[in-house]
Amino acid sequence: MKVTDLVVAASIVALALLLSYAMFLGGIGPVPVRSELRTLALNYILLTYNPAKIIYSALAPEGVTAIVWDYRGLDTYFETAVMFLAIISVVALTHGCKVRIGLGKGGMSLIVKTTTRILMPLIVLAGVSITMHGWLTPGGGFQGGATIAVATVLALVTYSIDTLAKHGIRKKILLAMRSTGLIGIALTAVALLIIGLAVGVNAYIFQNQERMGSPLAFPAYFSGTPTGGSLLFYNLFEAFAVSAGLSLAIIVTSLREEEVKETLRGEGVE
Amino acid sequence: MIDLIAALLMAVAAVTSIVFTYLAVVEKNLIQAVVFSAVQSTMYALIYFLLMAPDIVLVYLPVGVGIYPAIILLLIKKTDKVDE
Repeated sequence: MKVTDLVVAASIVALALLLSYAMFLGGIGPVPVRSELRTLALNYILLTYNPAKIIYSALAPEGVTAIVWDYRGLDTYFETAVMFLAIISVVALTHGCKVRIGLGKGGMSLIVKTTTRILMPLIVLAGVSITMHGWLTPGGGFQGGATIAVATVLALVTYSIDTLAKHGIRKKILLAMRSTGLIGIALTAVALLIIGLAVGVNAYIFQNQERMGSPLAFPAYFSGTPTGGSLLFYNLFEAFAVSAGLSLAIIVTSLREEEVKETLRGEGVE
Repeated sequence: MIDLIAALLMAVAAVTSIVFTYLAVVEKNLIQAVVFSAVQSTMYALIYFLLMAPDIVLVYLPVGVGIYPAIILLLIKKTDKVDE
């Protein structure tokens, strides 16, 4: 690190501090007062768990998950679809590449492997816990799924891609899991609509609890604990889809040169 | 008082993140650059936590510190370790 580097870093910091001071004084524009809650935010907070006004409520104490999967469910669905598309394109680039066992050295030392063996179940457990409390505490499907995918990263680095392939964590299986998750989300979104059509009652897409003109609802309690109705299913399927999708992206990027070369040259593909 | 401490911590984290972003941009050794970038992510996670957005923290930590550096490191492994 040179002196010029330090000078540049210090001047960038000074610029940021000066800008924030100008903002604090109101030089860039009016600053919103923090203690005031906007009406929209207040509505979400008052209605997210409100058994007295079920037709506006998601019956889940966690407002963020309620907004993400109930009030604004369609947005989240398309976000998930965009991420699925990105992963599909990553997989399409390496279409036909297979893991060849015996190319690498077989991972790191025994100490690292043993530590990973102890840590991995804990990481997966934390991910499952974040997912399964998504409608009660901060967290949810994406957060839990990403945490579970970290366990795959750890296993990949310490045990090598060969060991993962031997234990059945392959591209096809992960892609199938990913698709199952996305189909599950889509089915949950239209579940009440299908039931409504079958019974002859009015229903909506992405409906969770009773809404105006529709008496259908997902079960909101399980042995006295709020489940958030459809939020439970969305979180579960999203965790499934995200953990499989991110693991897939990691595994595909860690494919070795020898495995990819033939496919990229155009050989071995009919 | 607690508000002031939170604001000060946020300011420190924000300034540190600026320094590490700059270091990540100018660093020639790409592996070190990834580590700097991960430190910047951690600082952002701290800011999100202090801004009372725990949902974002929970997604920022595994993605910013676990998955994103892992993918970049795997890609660096396939190319040169030093940017010329």
